[in-house]
Amino acid sequence: MKDKSQNIVANIDNISFSYGKKLIFKSFSLIIPKGLSLGILGGNGSGKTTLMKLLANLEKPKSGSIKIFDTKSISKVQSKIGYMPQQNSLYNDLSVFDNVDFFASMYGIHDKKARSKAIHTTLNTVGLWDRKKDPISILSGGMQRRVSLACALVHQPDFILLDEPTVGLDPDVRILFWDYFKKLTNKGTTLFITSHTMDDAMHCDRLIFVKNGHIIAEDTPEKLMSATGNPNATLEDSFIYFNSKGSINDSN
Amino acid sequence: MTLTRTLFISKRIIKQIIKDPRSLVMIFISPVVVMGLIGANFNKNQAALNFIAPALIGTFVLFFTFILTGISFLRERSEGTLDRLLTTPVKRADIMLGYSLSFFLFAVIQSTILLFFSIFVLDITYEGQIWHIFLIVILLTIVAVNLGVLVSTFAKNEFQVIQFIPLLLAPQIFLSGVIQPVGNLPDILQKISNLLPLTYGVKGLRSIMVEGSDISGIIPEISVLIGFTFVFITLATLTLKKI
Repeated sequence: MKDKSQNIVANIDNISFSYGKKLIFKSFSLIIPKGLSLGILGGNGSGKTTLMKLLANLEKPKSGSIKIFDTKSISKVQSKIGYMPQQNSLYNDLSVFDNVDFFASMYGIHDKKARSKAIHTTLNTVGLWDRKKDPISILSGGMQRRVSLACALVHQPDFILLDEPTVGLDPDVRILFWDYFKKLTNKGTTLFITSHTMDDAMHCDRLIFVKNGHIIAEDTPEKLMSATGNPNATLEDSFIYFNSKGSINDSN
Repeated sequence: MTLTRTLFISKRIIKQIIKDPRSLVMIFISPVVVMGLIGANFNKNQAALNFIAPALIGTFVLFFTFILTGISFLRERSEGTLDRLLTTPVKRADIMLGYSLSFFLFAVIQSTILLFFSIFVLDITYEGQIWHIFLIVILLTIVAVNLGVLVSTFAKNEFQVIQFIPLLLAPQIFLSGVIQPVGNLPDILQKISNLLPLTYGVKGLRSIMVEGSDISGIIPEISVLIGFTFVFITLATLTLKKI
């Protein structure tokens, strides 16, 4: 039992959540295993970002429970979680360095030397060390996205929530991002990623398709494609196939 | 709560304001211009100037801290940095204290400039000790920071923050004894005056600057202001969603 819980990073158990009268999740459950990238794919309003916010402790389920690192008190394990929101959420008047420095200190890297080293490593990873003195406001959208990722990675979290991480990135930078994400999961870091694009979703180790707050399919991208019965099916075909079938429960 | 995080939040806010020359002009130059204009208006009535100058120090602290916090916090909310901040191990108290501390620094500098301007340029009578003034200033700053945070919850943009000035600040200026003694107001307005933090700030500052009161002379004002700070901190903190 102990070994099993150690292999689970997050356990979302039978939660319900609504914004006012609009129901987003009802009896929703999901287990996020350790050391892989789990992608969540769904149309607008399917609940992807809400799920991110629930895991990031920005929203609380109305019923059910969420355990991260085997605790329901998510605030106690926040230093082990990194969060990259859909919006860049940076201080536009401050420099690249100042932004990453600020979030590093908020995550608890209080020693100046350790912080400088962490910032240097992270900014090199996202390819922005040379732009460290530039204010965010003069950077391109893609560069701002990279700073936002740096802010989520600087404390080397074990569990990273990435809400549309590659939006606005050039194709070559997108490939670099995914190479880096692969390196992270190989080292045991867990990634939970929302995406709109099938190209991105193909890079994930596992995928879940969501529709109206329900999981309609969950597997590896390859198995999801082959489940359509068409050997030439793309991930997009697979998504449309499951979307038309409805929820997993319905198909059963 | 961790002091280190509080200091980092303060440092960040100070950096942001320093990088914005317009904010600096608003904090440090415009109060002097207004004080200068009032001095020019009352240049033959030193008693009136002695009455108004201490009250204006408190009013400016409340006014500018409220506006700057309201706008800064609105940006934190609308640009998503507040949400991002709340996903880190930071506590709500760290954020509130970080804001209060940084704005206190600006409020102290602003008050000192105004005080020196009032004494050496406007030639007002000054009896008290400067650290007693700072004590009132810090309490007014905390009230203003938390009032700004509260307002940022209800405002959708910067323009709407400004719209709260006639609703929340103007009554304080007219009812807190800034322009004329509270005793001259109709009974009902005097009762309302008792519910306004600036009333106690103005009373305290006047007591220190004009009458030369020491700390024991301003204990009632300080006590009420501390009470206000607790109420406003509680209300503002409730608006910061941290599960």
